Amino acid sequence: MMKFILIFLLFISINAKEPISPIPVKADYDLKKALLGKSLFFDTILSKDRSVSCFSCHNVYEDGGADSRDVSIGFDHRKGNIQSPTVLNARYNFVQFWNGRAKNLKEQASGPLNNPVEHNMNPQEIEKRLNKIPSYKEEFKSTYGVSYISYELVLDAIVEFEKGLTTPNSRFDKYLRGEINLTDEEVKGYKLFKHYGCITCHNGINVGSNSYQKIGTFIPYENKRKYPDRSEVTKNKIDENVFKVPTLRNISKTAPYFHDGSSKTLKEAITTMSEHNLGMAISDKDANYIISFLKTLDGETPKILNAE
Amino acid sequence: MMKVSKILISFILIGIGSLVAIIYFYFIQRDFTQQHRKFIISINNLENRYSDITNLVLKNSLYIYVNQDNIAKANKKLEENYENLKNSKILLHKNYADIKKKVSALKKDLDENKKNVDYFLRINANIKNSLLFLSRHIDDSAILNKYDKKELLKARIILKHLNDVKRLQDLDYIKKEDYLLSSNSTNKDVQNYIKSFNIHSKFLVKEYPIFLSVTKKILGYDLNELKIHKIKEEFSAIAMKDFDALDRFAFVLLFMFLISFATIITLLLKYQHENKKLQETYSSLEYSLTYDQLTNLFNRRKFELDIEKTIKPTLLLININGFKYINDIYGNSVGNILLKYLTKFIKYEISFYEKVSLYRLGGDEFGIIFNDIASEKSLEIATKLEKDISNHIFKIKKIDLEISVSIAINSIKPILENADLILKQIKKSNTDGVAIYDESQHLKQNVKENMKIVKTIKEALKEDRIAPYYQPIVNLQNSKIEKYEALVRLTLKDGTILPPFKFLDIAQKSSQYNEITKIVIEKTIKTSKKYPQYRFSLNMSMRDISNKEIRDILFDALEKNKDAKIDIELLESEYLEDMKIVKDFITKLHTFDSKILIDDFGTGYSNFSYFSELDIDLVKIDGSIVKEITTDKRMFHMLKSIKEFANGMNMITVSEFVESREIALKLKDIGAVYAQGYYFSEPLEQPLDDENVII
Repeated sequence: MMKFILIFLLFISINAKEPISPIPVKADYDLKKALLGKSLFFDTILSKDRSVSCFSCHNVYEDGGADSRDVSIGFDHRKGNIQSPTVLNARYNFVQFWNGRAKNLKEQASGPLNNPVEHNMNPQEIEKRLNKIPSYKEEFKSTYGVSYISYELVLDAIVEFEKGLTTPNSRFDKYLRGEINLTDEEVKGYKLFKHYGCITCHNGINVGSNSYQKIGTFIPYENKRKYPDRSEVTKNKIDENVFKVPTLRNISKTAPYFHDGSSKTLKEAITTMSEHNLGMAISDKDANYIISFLKTLDGETPKILNAE
Repeated sequence: MMKVSKILISFILIGIGSLVAIIYFYFIQRDFTQQHRKFIISINNLENRYSDITNLVLKNSLYIYVNQDNIAKANKKLEENYENLKNSKILLHKNYADIKKKVSALKKDLDENKKNVDYFLRINANIKNSLLFLSRHIDDSAILNKYDKKELLKARIILKHLNDVKRLQDLDYIKKEDYLLSSNSTNKDVQNYIKSFNIHSKFLVKEYPIFLSVTKKILGYDLNELKIHKIKEEFSAIAMKDFDALDRFAFVLLFMFLISFATIITLLLKYQHENKKLQETYSSLEYSLTYDQLTNLFNRRKFELDIEKTIKPTLLLININGFKYINDIYGNSVGNILLKYLTKFIKYEISFYEKVSLYRLGGDEFGIIFNDIASEKSLEIATKLEKDISNHIFKIKKIDLEISVSIAINSIKPILENADLILKQIKKSNTDGVAIYDESQHLKQNVKENMKIVKTIKEALKEDRIAPYYQPIVNLQNSKIEKYEALVRLTLKDGTILPPFKFLDIAQKSSQYNEITKIVIEKTIKTSKKYPQYRFSLNMSMRDISNKEIRDILFDALEKNKDAKIDIELLESEYLEDMKIVKDFITKLHTFDSKILIDDFGTGYSNFSYFSELDIDLVKIDGSIVKEITTDKRMFHMLKSIKEFANGMNMITVSEFVESREIALKLKDIGAVYAQGYYFSEPLEQPLDDENVII
């Protein structure tokens, strides 16, 4: 009996104390809308020259929902100005985009569609194109009960799909829930993650993505060119080089790292972070421990991706 | 009345109006209350979220390991709460324009605060990390311990002070201090150690002022919270005023409603009162329509209504015999009192029976309606009533009145008419006081009687027992019998002599009538020849005249006996149809020197137009007038008038029913010529030889 109570108390204390919380096993979303959003997500019809889709820069199958290129290539092979962040678990981000200029997924989704170097579209054009396609008309009719496909509904469907793009049941989540034990290395990595102070910014459900931080607090981070940082939104000099702290979920799959895609490997990224933001040099050994911890954050492939 | 209902209607309208206003007002008030509550909830929520954030910031500053999702969530909620507050419906009202402005202005402050929180989180993370690093660095200070213990001590003090700054939020701990380490040791590790330490202490010293000012902005007693609170207070003050106004308005409406309600009630009561008065008037009217004023009995109108409604009615129709005379003798007041007393008397008599009502049908006529009563029973009741009344002495104004009544009983429709008929018969026959109308029985009896009479007549004819009797007609002026009236009589086998009304009507319906007429004519002619000193008059009705056979019999006989002195007494009747026949008849008679008399003048169907059209010689004044002339002045005057009228028309009067000397003398006095009656003689088998009489 005492044993049970002890386990129970331990369970409580773990859940209560750890500043990282697991992703809900079952994401709540409307399947029908999400499937419709899925079609749109993969459809290049949403770009002006029909060359790119959302999927082009958010490879939800292989690149952890992000882009393996330093910057994304959009319409007319034009280059984007920032490394594409992952779309996975984006619903748990406190704001969207690197600089938090979108309050929510819907605002976010609208961004690339209208960006001249990305999809280079406008709402009228999207509506015009989609309303010509019988299969879409039919699906929108059966899903939303409308005979005209509006831009708003297009966004709504995509957002619903994105809501389904969560990666639950990572080993770390299971560990948090007390379902499994991590390896010693992984545990050591997590401890170091905390001790070095990574956790002060990378916490919460998305292990990050709940605050802004300046890159290069100790040693200024040199940018090769100007990136759209937080100051673009706030018009405040103190926000220069300030970005949304990125999520570390599925981090092993979303290389390259940082807003400029300058770090190609996790170790590189960890070393850079230690140097610039923790003001210390991290040993190879410790970095490896942390990498093994970070890998426990890889979750399951979202169910919606396999759903028909 | 009209005015009352108009006022009533207008107050009802006011009442309905205020009621509608109250209901409408209730919805407005409810709406306002809801809006008010929503605003208060929104602003309370905003305040709470604000405190939440402050609280979370404090927590974040306190703990190293913090899940910052909560702050992100709180920020989002704060934003939502603010949107709710800003969109509060109540702010659309004019009175809250100022609050609306202030709420709008709040946005800037909230954004500022959010910016500060973001900034705080940023710096706080770095400070926490640096302190963490330094703590760990001190832990790993073996190298410094080995080569530069002094600096280690300093490092510890610096760390303590750096911690103090954060804990105590006081920059003084670092201002005066030298917070950088330096060592003369040439050991590379020592130099690296010091370098790492200095990076962080330098960083902290640089960041602390910003951190403290941001923290102060967020946690230090706080402008925004005050602003929100102030808005809330101002809002409450305005709302309180609005609620007061609403309360007053509600009170006014309620007051109006109550006033109109009370007025409606008052008016309704008044209306009802007036209605009651009207009802009373109506009732008294209805009473006079239903009741007899004198006796307070139901009147004839009510009787007619009731008789219709009664399922099996039996009517006792009561009439006071000779009531007219009581009125004449004692005056109407006594008559009225008698009617009242009689009413009381009858009421008492019938009080023993059920389903009975008493009515005064007019004059001296009363009606009693029984419902569903056996005819024997009704006869019994009527007989007893008749007897009791005649045995009773009514004492009125010291006068003892003994009266008798006739009661007709009938239960066959038409009720009143049949009863009337019976009552007339009773009066006429002057026999029984009570009679029942029973159509079937009456007819049967008649038929039986008729058969018997027809048989009697037949036998009498056969045995020559029908013959005229002669009543002398006296000339009062010379006291001589000048005429005889022939009156038909039937002598029964036992010698009883029947007057004509006992058999003549029945005979009329058979062929015997003409035969009887023939016998009377022939026998009278025979007698007149035997007594040439007298004239003889025969009775003939208008019906007889219309009968050609009878006319022929008469004229034949007269033709054969021209010396006979025969006059004709014409009985007036409704039967007179063809005036020409009558005229011709009279003209023809005059050729035989016959005189024409009009019988029973003064009663029945007396028609003065006869006298202008017909050549009439004598008028016979009806006995009912004659026999009263000594007792009734009016009758006397009537008789005188008739006599004078007749004289004026060159006609001579014959007064019948002279039953006393007194009457005879009175007649003589006024110069009336002829008279007949029992005073002189009853009808005789043979005329008297001596024509002289003594009056």
